[in-house]
Amino acid sequence: MSLALEICRITEENVGTDRLGDVRAVVLEVGDDAGVEVSNLTFCLEALLGSPPFGRARPVVEPAEGDTLRVKYLEVEDGGPDDRRT
Amino acid sequence: MAVRTIDVRERVMARNDELAATVRERLAGAGVPSFNLVSSPGSGKTLLLERTLERLGDHLRMAVVTGDVQTQNDADRLAAHTDRLVQAVVTNGACHLDASQVAAALEAVELADTDLLFIENVGNLVCPASWDLGETAKIVVFSVTEGEDKPVKYPKMFRMARYAVLNKIDLLPHLSFDVDRALAFAREVNPELEFFLTSARTGEGLDEWTAFLEAQVRGTDAGAVTHVDAASDLAPVRGSLGAVEA
Repeated sequence: MSLALEICRITEENVGTDRLGDVRAVVLEVGDDAGVEVSNLTFCLEALLGSPPFGRARPVVEPAEGDTLRVKYLEVEDGGPDDRRT
Repeated sequence: MAVRTIDVRERVMARNDELAATVRERLAGAGVPSFNLVSSPGSGKTLLLERTLERLGDHLRMAVVTGDVQTQNDADRLAAHTDRLVQAVVTNGACHLDASQVAAALEAVELADTDLLFIENVGNLVCPASWDLGETAKIVVFSVTEGEDKPVKYPKMFRMARYAVLNKIDLLPHLSFDVDRALAFAREVNPELEFFLTSARTGEGLDEWTAFLEAQVRGTDAGAVTHVDAASDLAPVRGSLGAVEA
């Protein structure tokens, strides 16, 4: 849970507190030697990212080398129209 | 709505590790070795520290930062054995200490007047393994009432620790705990791990423990670690077990 909270802090730092509700995905890289049980981390993140101040964000875990444990990128609704539909 | 991508590429522990490096630099600058005691709840960290303060308090100036989820009970217990300040950190639900809490606690510690720092972490064998506090080394404490396979159940903690204390060995005659098996599990996870066998209650093994701490303060390796590879080190333990089983 402590790692999940730190990931939420990093997310907040990058998008700003007032835009946490716009986050759609938090993409992580987790290595085999990171000492992290991916299912446990995902469970904690789903609980945190699915409730206020987040709302509809989901965690996405990508496998990585060694002890890598980092937030790779965030997907955030930007409030504008979806260019792909126009 | 369009979704855009924000590139982050930030290590999850980066901020804590930066603070930990600052703590480590401060402690190194003051020449203060520091040990982060980690364990599951109830392994005997606090009693081990109480006995340590009793035995070394007259000639070493020891500071203690102790963390608990709630209450300052451990800090109160430790304060009864020293005139020096015992810093209590109540984490209010968090399952570990972090480097910012230790840095803040050290603001009240006169490091120039300190020989040795103990950090008693929150009882938890999972989360504290991931959080560097700027310590010289982690010391994992586990006890004979916990089962031999703790090291393989919580490998990261035993991998991150440099030393291990197997505590409550006075209870071995009453348990089926296999010391050799426990140490083998620990070495399987971390071949470099060095051990102490102690009973904080009876004092068994504490001479080696305190000699190690004194050597750390002196900056020497002499008597630094109780190696239990030698059969003679384990013989008294095995003898006690054998007597009960017979």
